[in-house]
Amino acid sequence: MNPQAIMDGLITGSMIGLGAIGVTLTYSILRFANFAHGEFISWGAYFALAISGALGSLSGAFLAPIGPFSFGWSLPLATVLAVALTGGLALLVDALLFGRLRAQRGAVIIMVMASFGAALTLRSLLEFIFTSKPAYFSKALQIAMPLGGGLRATPDQLLSLGIAVLLVVAVHLLLTRTAIGRSMRAVSENQQLAGVVGIDVRKVIRTVWVLGAGLACVAGVMAGLLVQIRPYMGFDLLLPLFAAAILGGIGSVPGAMLAGLIVGLTEAFAVQLIGAEWRAAIAFVILVAVLLLRPQGLFGRPE
Amino acid sequence: MTATGQPVALSTKALVAGYERDLPIVRGVDFSIRSGELVIVLGPNGAGKSTFVKAVAGLVPIHSGATFLGDRDITSVPAHEKIRHGLAFVPQTENIFATLSINDNLLLAANILPKEKRSRRIADLYAMFPDLASRPSLRAGQLSGGQRQMLAVARALIVEPSVLILDEPSAGLSPKIVSEVFSKLKAINETGVTIILVEQNVKAALAIADRAVILVEGLLRHEGPAATLADDPIVAELYLGARHQSKAVAS
Repeated sequence: MNPQAIMDGLITGSMIGLGAIGVTLTYSILRFANFAHGEFISWGAYFALAISGALGSLSGAFLAPIGPFSFGWSLPLATVLAVALTGGLALLVDALLFGRLRAQRGAVIIMVMASFGAALTLRSLLEFIFTSKPAYFSKALQIAMPLGGGLRATPDQLLSLGIAVLLVVAVHLLLTRTAIGRSMRAVSENQQLAGVVGIDVRKVIRTVWVLGAGLACVAGVMAGLLVQIRPYMGFDLLLPLFAAAILGGIGSVPGAMLAGLIVGLTEAFAVQLIGAEWRAAIAFVILVAVLLLRPQGLFGRPE
Repeated sequence: MTATGQPVALSTKALVAGYERDLPIVRGVDFSIRSGELVIVLGPNGAGKSTFVKAVAGLVPIHSGATFLGDRDITSVPAHEKIRHGLAFVPQTENIFATLSINDNLLLAANILPKEKRSRRIADLYAMFPDLASRPSLRAGQLSGGQRQMLAVARALIVEPSVLILDEPSAGLSPKIVSEVFSKLKAINETGVTIILVEQNVKAALAIADRAVILVEGLLRHEGPAATLADDPIVAELYLGARHQSKAVAS
């Protein structure tokens, strides 16, 4: 087997992991599986593409590659703005849809079906605005550098991996060491008691949307940078995202990232050992296996 | 400590509350408690005791009537804001965050205090509840029933509330632990904290209360000094289950 599968798996896994953190946080706080989460990945990538393009048209200097990377300063600047816009989009969807259903004490199944509807709407809007033609942040070719042990990676890939690790550590510290993180954990455990203690539950919910959508945006930019940007890119990642969130244990940020890497690596090995056509089935097999054998996941607690 | 002559700490006027608008559980309760008083809310099962205090705490919808903290109308103040006005509530069950440490439970509550006060208040509470101080990083879910109640009370006291409401703090505890919890509540009350206590453990609660009110079918039917109420055979028979209890003991 080609050891390069390890690198491919880690890179795909880091994107899955970042997206799965949003899924796991939304589920643990709002208690429903948000199938529209994948669309925040796509929208994040397209927001960054549009802003990056606008910056590039303002000045060519923004497009000049930074060091060994394939992109110029337009992309990091666009990503920061895109994170804010994707967070805003998540808040808008919550205000227009999920928040109203919560206020009506809508059943979980209604929330889940609403998220399907939101996903379809968001995806169709993207196709309407940007068409379904694939787009790229950069068309520059990068040569993969040898890393030893038969592994190779491009500078963009290594940067993406590094950013994913940094973000996971940052989110983990946010949850465990800060007041807003403690509040999020408290709301996740008992919303009514959280209110009694003085926590503004609505503020915590808004924070979770912005955080989850922001991470999805970064995952989208990574996917766009390393592969391509398509309206269906988030939808294609949906099953792996849920497999990772459930494998990691609902509510566990390190669990989601580790599980994302496991799903990514398993997919990469499956492509080599079984065939590329089985890639999509791997996440499903993992999902079913976890639900049957250890429903609480790797780091979750039994209900 | 006598509360006679003290200002009213909390009151309700014709309070109607319940989960469904057309099915109120609390059906027009006029209630008041003076600063420094310890009042016990009694009544048979289903009388609306818990719903009454939850409505005051902002956890059950109020359909009409009003709630005042001192002179301030807090009827429509959201639950998470009431603690900032000095009203603390300890629910009957699930009243701590079991997955968080003891210290994180206290830090969460201390979060609404100014930064410079937080550490001092937590230290004060650890001094008041030494059992908690010995293992601050222990997950709260690993505490015994009595320790959980102490943590819930400590959490509520962090913000130095003017009024503390507790919903059946003795539920599920052994008699020895109930006695410890009630002694602690009396000691807290003696520091000037006004306490409203919903209880099924009538004998133990009447022993520490200044006054008792009895709710029946969502209405306040009787009230009076705790000592008098404890000796009132009609009240005891009708609402406190004395006949039922004595029969049970005899059999």
